[in-house]
Amino acid sequence: MPIILIADDEQHIRMLIEQTLETLEDEGVEILTAENGAEALEIIKEKRPELVFLDVMMPKMNGFDVCHTVKNVLCITGVYIIMLTAKGQEFDKEKGVESGCNEYVTKPFSPRELKNKAKEILGLI
Amino acid sequence: MDLFNLRKFLQKKDTIKLIDSLTNSLGINVCIADSTDTVIYGADNRNHSGLPVIVNDASVGWVYGQDTAKSETIVTLLHHMVKTEMERKALATETLDKYNEITMLYDFVEKVNTFNVKEIANFLINQVLAQIKADNVLVILKNEISGKLEIAAGYGTTYDIGKELPQQTGAVCDIMLSGKAAIINDCRSNSSCVLDIGNINSMICAPLKAKEKTLGVVTASTEKSYNYCADDLRFFCTLVSQAAFAIDNARLYESLKGAFIKTVHTLAETIEQRDPYTGGHTKRVMSFSIAIAETLKLSSRERERLELASVLHDIGKIGVSDNVLRKTTKLTDEEFEEIKTHPASGQQILSYIEELRDIIPGVKSHHERFDGKGYPEGLKGTDIDLIARIIAVADSFDAMTSDRPYRKGLPFEVALSEVKKCSGTQFDADVVEAFIKACSENKIRPAEPGK
Repeated sequence: MPIILIADDEQHIRMLIEQTLETLEDEGVEILTAENGAEALEIIKEKRPELVFLDVMMPKMNGFDVCHTVKNVLCITGVYIIMLTAKGQEFDKEKGVESGCNEYVTKPFSPRELKNKAKEILGLI
Repeated sequence: MDLFNLRKFLQKKDTIKLIDSLTNSLGINVCIADSTDTVIYGADNRNHSGLPVIVNDASVGWVYGQDTAKSETIVTLLHHMVKTEMERKALATETLDKYNEITMLYDFVEKVNTFNVKEIANFLINQVLAQIKADNVLVILKNEISGKLEIAAGYGTTYDIGKELPQQTGAVCDIMLSGKAAIINDCRSNSSCVLDIGNINSMICAPLKAKEKTLGVVTASTEKSYNYCADDLRFFCTLVSQAAFAIDNARLYESLKGAFIKTVHTLAETIEQRDPYTGGHTKRVMSFSIAIAETLKLSSRERERLELASVLHDIGKIGVSDNVLRKTTKLTDEEFEEIKTHPASGQQILSYIEELRDIIPGVKSHHERFDGKGYPEGLKGTDIDLIARIIAVADSFDAMTSDRPYRKGLPFEVALSEVKKCSGTQFDADVVEAFIKACSENKIRPAEPGK
């Protein structure tokens, strides 16, 4: 059963993404959430989600550090990481590349595009 | 509202944990079935009596157990959890709807601000169709001069785009006058909805209002039996008002640009008036230049630059004395030197106008030659601005084919073969090639001889 992890410290963003991806649950996808970077890292280590939406600015551990640890330190494979970055706060592409993230999405995101992206990555299209 | 999916809810870890611990502490075995009576939790013991879990007057599932009193506790827990979950869901759905709306608007505002009214109108139509149930959308604008309503853009309509609306009365005009949006859900019995767009059932109309002015009206309508609601109207109005500001800006831009271009043409005309023998020269050089630009497929930005530069290419002649400019006999060397100052004076004059600075190379270098033997700087090849290389061909061809007091203009073919002969020396071969192509397509119309 494929797993998606949504990691964002803002509750309404977690709720929005969860609601956006809700119908994927009917196709057997499990959706997990994390409120901070440290929790996200624990869940990734333990549950090995296929797809992670990772907010950049999070307490305890920021998104770049989580991603770097997953991709370059623990060398976990098979996890596709999409960074979420707020509009106006320019995404540091260099840091993104260094951390090994697969791509990034700017908030406010388009729910439809986000859902299509998730389906594509999980091979549900 | 869809029936609550108890199965999905019971698959969540936290939910299962709670029910597990409660049944354990109560020391009972229960079985939970969904609304279709399919077992979704626990071993099937539906031989015992079942208690319905009723939330908001609907049964979302059943709890079966031996001890009815204890099962009741599970029902109470489930009832509470489901109710909370449903409220959370409703909130999440609403938040997502709003979020969708915001991102859509974000996108709309970003993209709607072009300087082209037609583009804005079509963009608006696409967004309306994407967000609101509609078979037809019309963007109607009031013609600023005639005061008549015209179709600026439309979807699903038999109207001719760009033409006047045949009915200058009815609902659309009322909204134009009142400046207030409206929903008309009974079009079939409402004779004021006179729009030639099929058998419409209901429609929404909103005024395009910007800074107290009503620029026009946008209508969205459907042929299906669908009643537009307040939500549709609110959303429609937001889109339309954003578009109104964009249209207002685009019009301002167009009128400023128009005034600017007219000024430039007037400036050029003043030079022409001083030199009566070259009547129409500027206009012809511009038209030849544009014909070459089309053949060369220049970008619209470059074409604009070429248009302005070709109109102003001889502006520097303002500094050449009358007796030289109007001389009807051959010029002396000294007089020719004076003529040769005009590209540089042109540069000098235009340098005062910020908006014209980027056409200076086109004006300054139109007497340069591809082989480097021209003036004023003796630039060579592609060091000469492309705009100037184009004007050079257009300018020379017009000079050859026009009558002068001391000679008749050359016939078209003779002048053309002269241009061909100078390809690669005086002129850029690519520009000459484009010029020949433009000639063969009848795009080059020289001055009429003998006039």
